[in-house]
Amino acid sequence: MAFRIALNQVRFTALHAVGLVTLLSGILSFLLISQATRELGRFGATDFIGTLIVVAIVRELGPLLTALIVAGRSGTAIAAELATNQVLGEVRALEAMGIDPKQYLVLPRFVGSLVGIFVLLVVFDVVAVMAGFAAARFNGVSGARYFDIVLASLRAKDVWLTVFKAIAFGAIVGIVPSYFGLSVRRAPTEIPIAASRAVVTAIVGIFLCSALFVALG
Amino acid sequence: MTAPLCFENIPLARHATHPFSLTVEERHTVVVLGDEDAGIGALGGYALGLERPLTGRALVFGTEVAGLPEPARLAFRRRVGYLPAGDGGGLLQNLSLRDNIALPLRFGSGASSHDIEGRVNVMLAASRLREAAGVRPAQANEEERRRAALARAVALDPSLLILEQPFDGLTSRVASELLEYARGGESAEGARRTIFITGQEVPPVILRRVDRVYRLTRPGVLEPQPV
Repeated sequence: MAFRIALNQVRFTALHAVGLVTLLSGILSFLLISQATRELGRFGATDFIGTLIVVAIVRELGPLLTALIVAGRSGTAIAAELATNQVLGEVRALEAMGIDPKQYLVLPRFVGSLVGIFVLLVVFDVVAVMAGFAAARFNGVSGARYFDIVLASLRAKDVWLTVFKAIAFGAIVGIVPSYFGLSVRRAPTEIPIAASRAVVTAIVGIFLCSALFVALG
Repeated sequence: MTAPLCFENIPLARHATHPFSLTVEERHTVVVLGDEDAGIGALGGYALGLERPLTGRALVFGTEVAGLPEPARLAFRRRVGYLPAGDGGGLLQNLSLRDNIALPLRFGSGASSHDIEGRVNVMLAASRLREAAGVRPAQANEEERRRAALARAVALDPSLLILEQPFDGLTSRVASELLEYARGGESAEGARRTIFITGQEVPPVILRRVDRVYRLTRPGVLEPQPV
């Protein structure tokens, strides 16, 4: 049953957000690479679009934007759902049945957020690279050259850093809203407050964590 | 022999002058009536260690559940059936009535999913929920929700049942059916289960079929009522 909840969480977090992530990633990458190709082309420095794609989009903006999208969509949902469970006395009933609410309610959502962010991040990066390719072609850079530049700029460290960010951001989106959701007492008026606080805290946490990665990386 | 349920000197209100004490003997059905002001709503939580009294203690089979470490506390609670107060009876709104009944079996029985399915089917039939098995609590009527909550409470076949306001809003006929279902049948020694019922009012037909009835007139003050 907990597996089913985790699967539902992945479906809601990842599958239902694929369209939004694809749209944002595609537009962001297309605009950035279009502008960069034009401006850098004037100085004969189009090779730097590889660095731009890898560092700015794949390593920094990709994880950050993906996490913000998931925090906005799933973070609100997790906090509101768990707060509702709490207000309706379902959490108490679970404890009375000998079922650990953290195991039944929090763990599947944590795993779902982790997997969801990771999957969305892969989608974001793939779409960003492909949109960058379209933008580069549109501005006169050949496809082969574009991929050469991008691959030359990509290091193993960038991939690992992206993976670590996905894990860290996924953990924030899974844990912070769960904490706020389960912190409500018995009043239904606490539900929107918990959802709002959860999302704001998760967003601040994501930005702080991102800054920490930059400082350490 | 250790009593299945025992409350020892628990203050039911902040300024209560009388601490609450009561022992529920094995295979007995005991009803405690009273207003929320008298602290009736706190008894189930104290017994299961969901809340801890300021002083005194609640013992279940001789164990103070609130004093156990978390994993042991959760494991211990599986020995007790609990129907919480409220219209929903603590049913999970995102699960069907069938899944709600199966929940304690899936997490606490260690049985195979095939066995659980079979057991749930028997319980659905016994609690007259076959027609409503697939609906969620919000789509079910009050009687179906109460039947499902009780079926879930007895799913692990506990020897002690704690029922909070189990008959509110139900007809006498349905209330009698639920009481019989909660008892789990009779054996040579009496009812199979010990049942502790709390509520503001209980239908007279139920009061005639239980072993003891008390009224909590003030926090901690119990007055025996004629059965």
